[in-house]
Amino acid sequence: MTTERTAEVGRLAGDVGVADRVRVRYAKTGRLRFVSAIDLGRVWERALRKARLPIAYSEGYTPHPKVSFPDALPLGYASTGEYAELGFAEPITIGPAMRRLNAAFATGCEVLDARGVAPGERRLSKWLGRALWCLSYPEGTDGAALVEGAQTILDASAWPVGRERKGETTEVDLRAPLVDLVVSEDDPPRVAALLDASEPPLRPTEVHTGLEIALQTQEPAHQHARAADGATLPTPRLISRTAQGAPADGGLLEALSGEHLAATAAFDATREELRLDRLDQPGP
Amino acid sequence: MRAHGALGARVVPLHPRRQGAVPIVSTTERPTRSVWPRLEPLLPHVQRPARYVGGEDNAVVADHADCDSAWLLLYPDTYEVGQPNQGLQILYEVLGEREGTVAERAFAPWHDLDALMREHDIPLFSLEQHLPARAFDVLAFSVATELGATNVLSCLDLAGLPLRAAERDDDDPIVLLGGHVAFNPEPLAPFADVVCVGEGEEFVLEADRVVRRWRQAREAGEGWSREDLLVALSRVDGAYVPGLYAPRYGRAPGGAGMPPLRETAPTRADLPEAVSKRAVSDLDAWPYPKRTIVPLTETVHERYSVEIFRGCTRGCRFCQAGMVTRPVRERSKETVTAMVEQGLAATGFEEIGLLSLSSSDHSEIHELATDLAKRYAGTATSLSLPSTRVDAFNVELADELAREGRRTGLTFAPEGGTDRMRAVINKMVAEEDLLRTAETAFAGGWRQLKLYFMIGLPTETDEDVLGIADLALKVVELGRRHGKRNRVTVSVGGFVPKPHTPFQWAAQDRPEELRRKVRLLKERVAGERNLKLSYADPEPGLVEGLLARGDRRVADVLERAYELGARFDGWSECFSLDRWEQAVADVGLDLDWYVTRERGRDEVLPWDHLDAGLDRHWLWEDWQDAQRGRALEDCRWMPCYDCGVCIGLDLEHQTGHLPVAYADGR
Repeated sequence: MTTERTAEVGRLAGDVGVADRVRVRYAKTGRLRFVSAIDLGRVWERALRKARLPIAYSEGYTPHPKVSFPDALPLGYASTGEYAELGFAEPITIGPAMRRLNAAFATGCEVLDARGVAPGERRLSKWLGRALWCLSYPEGTDGAALVEGAQTILDASAWPVGRERKGETTEVDLRAPLVDLVVSEDDPPRVAALLDASEPPLRPTEVHTGLEIALQTQEPAHQHARAADGATLPTPRLISRTAQGAPADGGLLEALSGEHLAATAAFDATREELRLDRLDQPGP
Repeated sequence: MRAHGALGARVVPLHPRRQGAVPIVSTTERPTRSVWPRLEPLLPHVQRPARYVGGEDNAVVADHADCDSAWLLLYPDTYEVGQPNQGLQILYEVLGEREGTVAERAFAPWHDLDALMREHDIPLFSLEQHLPARAFDVLAFSVATELGATNVLSCLDLAGLPLRAAERDDDDPIVLLGGHVAFNPEPLAPFADVVCVGEGEEFVLEADRVVRRWRQAREAGEGWSREDLLVALSRVDGAYVPGLYAPRYGRAPGGAGMPPLRETAPTRADLPEAVSKRAVSDLDAWPYPKRTIVPLTETVHERYSVEIFRGCTRGCRFCQAGMVTRPVRERSKETVTAMVEQGLAATGFEEIGLLSLSSSDHSEIHELATDLAKRYAGTATSLSLPSTRVDAFNVELADELAREGRRTGLTFAPEGGTDRMRAVINKMVAEEDLLRTAETAFAGGWRQLKLYFMIGLPTETDEDVLGIADLALKVVELGRRHGKRNRVTVSVGGFVPKPHTPFQWAAQDRPEELRRKVRLLKERVAGERNLKLSYADPEPGLVEGLLARGDRRVADVLERAYELGARFDGWSECFSLDRWEQAVADVGLDLDWYVTRERGRDEVLPWDHLDAGLDRHWLWEDWQDAQRGRALEDCRWMPCYDCGVCIGLDLEHQTGHLPVAYADGR
C-alpha cells in the first residue's frame, strides 16, 4: 500500500535495547480486521522476511518462524491491544528493528510497543487474563440512555444474554466476567468494557446485546424481555480491543508496560485506533 | 438502440432483464465514489471477507482524478484462485508502471456477497479503492478456463454493463477478454468488445494508446462512436473484435440437425481474414513480475513465481497450452536469478516457483536449480519446480531441490497407460523408462509417486484403459521393494479436445463412457492398499467441451445457463449438468453435435479465423499420424517439421539447446 505511515508511536521512537526475545503490542486495524488469525500469522512471517530481520526458525522439515500469538482476535474486530512474542536468531536492536518491520507490514498492522524479555520472565499468556474493549457507537446514539443502561447492568447480580449457536439459543451471563462498564462523555458515545477471560469466552458483541436489553427494560411498557428484538440501540460502527493485561483492582496491568489501566483508558486508546482506521479509508 | 452499422450484421436476440440484476445506468460520467462505506457493513456476514478488502503489500493505489486511462483487471473466479494468476500480475505491473495509467484488480464475489451486492445495489468493485467497475475505461478479463465463462457474465452483470457488446453505449467501458480461452472465444464473442489473442504485455500497452485517445475525445465532448472505437482497437496486432466478424451457417444436411458453420468472415474490407496471435520475442526484455502482490488471506499458490520459458515443442497432441504458446522462448539464467532475488526482497515470500510447461526442458535448468538451491540454503526458502516429465533427470533435479527437506511426493504424467496410447498422444516415454524412473525415485528415498493419466483419448480401447492400472500396479510393486509403506496415487481425468491442437477434430467421450472406464480401473486395482485411485467427475468436462469447441451460437446457451443460475462451474459444489442441459434444450442446440462428434478434414471450425501460428494442414497430418500411432520428435533438437509457427510469427526458438541434427554437422 502506498498510504504514508505516521510517525512511530510510543516507545518505538527511541532505541529500546537489545534482545533476542521480544514482546510486542501491536495494532490490527482498518481492513486488516477482516483477516483471520491464521492468515495474520503469514502476514507477520512475510513482513519479518521482507524487513530482513533475523527471525529464528523451528527445527525440522518444515521450519516455522518463532512468532507466537498467545491469543486470537475474532474476525471483524479491530485492536490496538494485540500481543506477540518474537524469537530472533541473534540479538537485535529493538527500536530500529520494529520500525523496519512496521515499514514492511501491510497497512493496518503496526507494532506499537516492544521490549526485550528477561530470562525466566512470566509467560506472555499469563498476562492476558483481562481485556479492555471499546464499542464506538454511530452518530445519533443516545449517550444518556447508555449511561443508565450500563448502570443497570452493573447493579444487577446477573445479566443473561441470549447466544445463538448452530440454530440453538443458549444463555450466557454477561455480568460475571464484566469488571467495569463505562460510557464516554463525548458524542457519539463510546462504551468501555473491562472483561475477564471466561469459559466459554464472552463475545464483545454480547456487551452490546446486554446494553440493548438494558435499554429496553428502562422503558416502562416493557417487561424484562431479555431478548434484543427492539431497535432502540444502533449497532456499534466499530468494536475494538484496546489493551490486555493481568487483573488488578478495578482495572488491569497492561501486559507489556505493567502500567495500571482503568476502563476509561479505552477512550484514549481508541483515539489512536480511529486514527489508524482513518488512515486506511480506501478511495476518495 | 443506436444503429450499429457493421455491428448490426448479426441480429442480437433481446433477453428479458435478469431478475435481481443491478439496474443499468449508462452515463458519460465515470463514477468516482468508493463503495467501501456500503460494503464494509456487509463483510461480517460473508465467508472469508478478507477476499474483498484489498490493502495487500505491493498493491498500487493511484489517483484516478488525473489519469489518462484506467484498467480494471478481472479474474472471473474467487480471489484465492485468481490472485496468484501470473498473467494478471504481469499486466497489473506493465500497465501500472506506465505514467498516467491506473490498473486495479477485481474478482468474482462468492454467492453470499453476490446476493448481498444485488440486494444493496452495490456494483462490482476494484480491490484497490473499491471503485465501481464503471469507473474504469477497460474491463480486462483473464479467462484461463472455459468453465469460468458464466462468471464473466456475472461480473459484467454486477458491473451494471449490458451483457451483450452490441447493446453497449458509446461511453460504456470496453470489455476485453484474454487468456487461453481467447483461442476460441466464440461462445463468449457476443459479450466481448475485444479479444486479445495471445500474449498481453505489448498488446495492452498498444491498446492503451487507443483507450487514451478515446478518453480524451470523450472528455472533450466529442466522443467516438462505439464502432469507431472498436475499429481503432482492431488495428492493434493480436486484437480480434468479434463484432466486426460474422459467422455464416449453411443448411443442415438433409434439412434436419445442426446447420454447419460455413465461415467466420470480417464485415469490413480492411480487416484481415484471420487474426494472428501476439507473442513477445524476448522474455528477458519483459522481466515481470517484479513486485508480486502478497495476499492477506490464503490463496491457491503463495510464492514468488517467474516463468523460465514460454512455449513447448514436446508436441503432446492433446495439449493446447503447448501448441498455442509456441515457439519456445527461454528466459536467461541471469535474468531469472536477478528476478528471484528482487522478487523475494519485494515480497517476503518463502517459496520460489519456476514456471513453464516443462521445467526440466530449460537448457540451463540444472545450473539454475542448483544455484538457487545453494543461494537460499538455510534461509527457510523453498523452491518449487512444477515438472511432470517422466525421466531420470527429473528425479535428479527433485533430489537436488529436496536436499534439506523431506522426500515426500513426486509427480509424473505419463498420460497414457500403454506404449501404443502414448504414441497416439505423442507423450513419448516407453514403459521400461517409466519403471526405471520410478525405481530411481523410490531408491532415492521418495515415498510417494503421483501418476497423472487421461482417459477418453482418441483410439482408446479398454486394453489401453486397463494399461493404466497395470502400469500403476507395477510401480506399486517396485515401490514396495524399497519400503512397505511407499504409495502410488493414480489420478485420472477425462480428455477434452481443444482448439488449435491435432486433436481438435476428435470425438469426446460422454460421461457415461468415462464412468464405465473408471469402473474398469477400479475393478483392476481393487484390494491394492498402497494404490489410491482418484478421478474427476466427468460431467463438467461435457460443458468444458461444449465451450472449448463451440461456435457463436453457444453464446445463447451460456447466457441461458447463467440465467438459470450457473456460476463458478469449475467448483464441483456449484456445477450442475442439469442446468446446462436445460439451457442447451431451451436454445435448441445439440450437445452431442458439439462435443461427442468427430469432425472431418474440410469442416469449417469456429476458430479458423484465429491464427495461433499452427498450419492447419500440419495439424491435420499430425492428427492422421496420431491415429496411426506415429510419434513425432521435439523440434528443439530434431529438424523442423514445419508446424508453421516460427515462419508465420517471424520468431525463432530461443534456447540454449543445440539441435542434434546440426550438432552432428549434418
